[in-house]
Amino acid sequence: MHQEFAIATYGLTKRFEGYIAVNDLDLQVKAGEVYGLIGPNGAGKTTLIRMLAAAEEPTKGEIYLHGDRLLRDDSNSILKQRIGYLPDDFPLYDDLTVYDYLDYFARLYLLKQPSRRRRLQEVLELVQLENKSKSIISTLSRGMKQRLSLARTIIHEPILLLLDEPVSGLDPLARQQFRQIIKVLQEAGMTILISSHVLSDLAELCTSIGIMELGFLVESASLSELYKKLSRQQITLGTLGKMEILQQQLSQNSLVETWEIIPQSNRLKVNFTGGEADCAALLRSLIIADIPLTEFHCSQEDLESIFLKLGHQQTS
Amino acid sequence: MKQNRRLFQEQNFLWSRFLDWNPQLFREVKGKLKTRNVVIAAAMAVVIQFVAVIALLGELPKPDPEGILKSQVSPYCLGNGYGDNLACTKDMLGNWVINWQLLWLDLFMILSIISIFALLVIGSYMLIADTVKEESQGTLNFIRLSPQSAGSILLGKVLGVPILLYCGVLLFLPLNLISGLAAKIPLTLILGFYSVIVASCAFFYSLALLLSLVNLGFPGLKPWLGSGLLGVFLFTLTRVLFDNYVSLDNPAGWLFLFNPSLVLSYLSDATYLPSSKIDFLTADKLAELSFLGQTFWANATIGIGLIFGHFCLWTYWCWSIAKRRFLNPEKTLISKTQSYWLTGWFVAIALGFTLQTTRQSTLEDYFIFLQFCLGIWGLGLIAVLSPHRQALHDWARYRHQVSSQGNLLWKELIFGENSPSTIAVAINLIIAIAYIAPSILIHFNQNRYFVLWGFILSAGSTILLAVVAQLILTSKTPKRAAVSIITVTSMLIVPPLCLGFAEMSPQATPFVWLFSFLPAAVAEHATISNLILAVLGQWLAISLIGFQMTRRLKQAGASETKILINRNAVLSD
Repeated sequence: MHQEFAIATYGLTKRFEGYIAVNDLDLQVKAGEVYGLIGPNGAGKTTLIRMLAAAEEPTKGEIYLHGDRLLRDDSNSILKQRIGYLPDDFPLYDDLTVYDYLDYFARLYLLKQPSRRRRLQEVLELVQLENKSKSIISTLSRGMKQRLSLARTIIHEPILLLLDEPVSGLDPLARQQFRQIIKVLQEAGMTILISSHVLSDLAELCTSIGIMELGFLVESASLSELYKKLSRQQITLGTLGKMEILQQQLSQNSLVETWEIIPQSNRLKVNFTGGEADCAALLRSLIIADIPLTEFHCSQEDLESIFLKLGHQQTS
Repeated sequence: MKQNRRLFQEQNFLWSRFLDWNPQLFREVKGKLKTRNVVIAAAMAVVIQFVAVIALLGELPKPDPEGILKSQVSPYCLGNGYGDNLACTKDMLGNWVINWQLLWLDLFMILSIISIFALLVIGSYMLIADTVKEESQGTLNFIRLSPQSAGSILLGKVLGVPILLYCGVLLFLPLNLISGLAAKIPLTLILGFYSVIVASCAFFYSLALLLSLVNLGFPGLKPWLGSGLLGVFLFTLTRVLFDNYVSLDNPAGWLFLFNPSLVLSYLSDATYLPSSKIDFLTADKLAELSFLGQTFWANATIGIGLIFGHFCLWTYWCWSIAKRRFLNPEKTLISKTQSYWLTGWFVAIALGFTLQTTRQSTLEDYFIFLQFCLGIWGLGLIAVLSPHRQALHDWARYRHQVSSQGNLLWKELIFGENSPSTIAVAINLIIAIAYIAPSILIHFNQNRYFVLWGFILSAGSTILLAVVAQLILTSKTPKRAAVSIITVTSMLIVPPLCLGFAEMSPQATPFVWLFSFLPAAVAEHATISNLILAVLGQWLAISLIGFQMTRRLKQAGASETKILINRNAVLSD
C-alpha cells in the first residue's frame, strides 16, 4: 500500500507543551516529486520535516519511506542512508576544511573508496566549491556555507531530500545558484520535500504543493491542479479609446467576473473564468467591436496570490 | 631512500585503514591532531617527566667525593642499622649507598599517578566539553541521523577527543615501564595495572559521555563540574591510599575499587621492599577488604581481576545508558527494565561490601549505612525514571493507540516508556529488600526485625518521595524539575532539622523520627505498634497523592473533544 509513495504518513501527530504542532497529518508524496510545503510561521512545517528526518519523535502516527517504517532508533541504518536532511540552521565544524567535512560525512554514510573520492569531487563540483575544498569552513561566506550544507546533505546520494527553508538569508544570486542545484537533483530522480517562504522559488521548482495551517495539511495537490482549482485567469487590457466602451463590451461576456481599472493608465485587469479558447473569443469580440486595443495579456494568479487569497495567515 | 618511501606509504596505508574503521575517530583526528598541538602535548609530557626525575634525584644525598660531609639523610639511603632509616652510609669506595630500587619505584608511582589523574580528569573534561559543545551547536543531531550506530560514534569520541592526551601519556609509557621493571615489579603485574587503567578510562569516559548527554540546564558548567567532582574524588581516595593506616574493612571500601591507583599496592608489594619505606597502602591492608566475608583482594591476580571486572561491569551499564541517551535525548535516562537490572547489581555488590564483619553492633551500623545508600539510590531512580510532563501527558492521551505493551496498564507501568515511575521505583525497592532481607535474618540475632522494619519504612518514604516528585512533574508550574528537586530535598532535610531544633531525640520520641529519611536509625527505639502505624501513615499518604496524580493524568489523557464538552458543560451550568 505504501510502496508507491516516497513519503507516506498516517495520523502523524506531534504535541508540544500546550499546543499541537502537527495534528493527525496524512501526507503522501510520490517518488520523483518536488513537493513544496508552505504555510505561515508556526504552522508545523519544521516539526513535520524533522519527524520525517527522524530528528523528532512523533507523539503518535506512522511514517513510511518507500514502504519502510521509519523508527527513531538504531535499527534502520539502511533507511537513514536514503534520507538527506537540511535544517533551516546549518551548524558546521569550523575547525575542518571543506573537503575533510564532506569526507567525514561520506564516511558516516558508509561510502567506501574509491567511490568516496569520486563522489566528493562530484558534489564539490555540483555546489561549486571545488576551489574552496582546502579552505577552513569558518572562512566561508553564508552562501558558501549553505551550499556546503547542501553538499553534506546529498553526499551519500539519498533518494529523499528534506530541505527546511534552504534559501532563507541568501542573496538573489545565491538563491539562483541554489535553485539550479535543486533542479539538477530533481533531474537525477531524487524526491524532494522543500519548505520555503519564497513562493516564487517553489512555483519554479515544485511539482506539488502542500499548505499547512495550525498543524493540519489543509491542501495537498499537484501544482497544475492547484492552479486549476484556485488560480484565476487574469487578462490585462489596454485601449486608446474610451474605457467606458471597453467596460460595456466586457460586461456582455459571461466569463468576465470582475475587473479593476489600473490607475493613471488606460488599462484594466480582468478576472476571467474561461480557458484559452475563451480568451481568444473575447479578443475576437473586442476587435470586432472596433475597440482600439493596445494590450491583451493573459496571465495566471501566482502561488503567493493564491496563498494570500486562502487567508492562511493565522499561526498556531 | 626507496625503502623509506615504501615504509612511509605502508604506514600511511595502515593509518588510513585505521581512520576508515571509525568515521567519528577520523573527524576527531582531523580536527585535533595538528602538528602544533602534538608538539605542545609532547613537550609537556617530556617536561613533566623531567621535573619528576629531577625532583627525585634532588632527594639523593649530595655528592661527597672528598669525604667532607659526615652525615646525610635521604629517603633513598639504607639507614645506619641503629634505628635511623633515613641515615646515609658509604661503601668501601666512599660512595653513598643508595636504594635505587626504591627510587625507581617512587618514579614509577609518581608517573603512574600523574598519568591516571591526567587521563581520567583531563580526559573526562575534554569529552564533556566536546560533547556539550556539539549538542549546543546542533551538530550532534546530524551524526544521530547518520546510519552509524550510537556505539560507533561514542567509541570514536572516546578514542578521538582526548587523542592529544593519549599522545602525551604514551610518552610517559617508556620511562614508566623502565622504572617499573627497574623497581623489580613483575611485567605481568605492570601489564595488569595498565589494563586496569584502560578499564578505568572506559568507565569514567562512559560516565563523562553520559553526563554530557544529560540535560542539567547549565551546559557551560558541566565540563568543570564533571571533571572537578572526579578530580576531588580521585584526589581524596589517592590521598587516603598514601596513609597506610587506612582501614578498608567497611562498606566505604567499595569506593576504592573505582580508583585504579589501588592496584599500585600489589605492585609495590611485589618489589619486596620494606613497607616502612613505602608510603602507600600495603597489600596486607588491602587484604582486609572483603566481599560477602571473603578476602578476595588478598591475592594480587584475583584482586586485579576483580578490580578490572568491576570497572567492566559499570562501564557496560554506563555505556548502555549513554547509547540510549545519545539515540533519543527525549527519553528517560534509563528504561524501567534497565533500572531493575541496575538495582540488582547495585544491591548485590553493596550487600557484599556490607557483610564485612560478624560483630553485631558494627554490622548494624553498616546496615544503617546500606539503608542510607539504598535511600539515595531510590532518589536517583526517581530522577532518572520520571518522564517529564509532556511525555506523561502523551502517554496518558495516546497510550491506547501507541502502546508497545499490548495496552495492559500493569505492563505499561512496569516496563513501558514514559509511564509514571512510581510503580517501577517501588518494584526496584522490593527487589532490593527481597535481596537484603535473608542476610538480615541470618546475620542478626536480636535486632533483626527492627533492621528489617527500618528497610521497609525507608522504602516507604522513598516511594512517597517518588510520588510527590512525579506529582510535581505533572503540574503546570513552569520550573517543575527545580520545584520537584527542592521539594524532595526539603522533605529529606526539614523534618530532622525541625525535630533537632525542638530537641526531640530519637530515643524519646521515636515515632516522629520514623517519618524521617533514615528510619532504621530509630527503629530499635520504637514499639511494634509505632512501626505499624508509621507504615500505615506512609501508605495512606502514598495512596492519597497517587490518587491525585491518577486524576490529573486522566484529565490530561482526555481527548480535546472531551475537554471541550466538559468545559461547555461547566459554562452552561
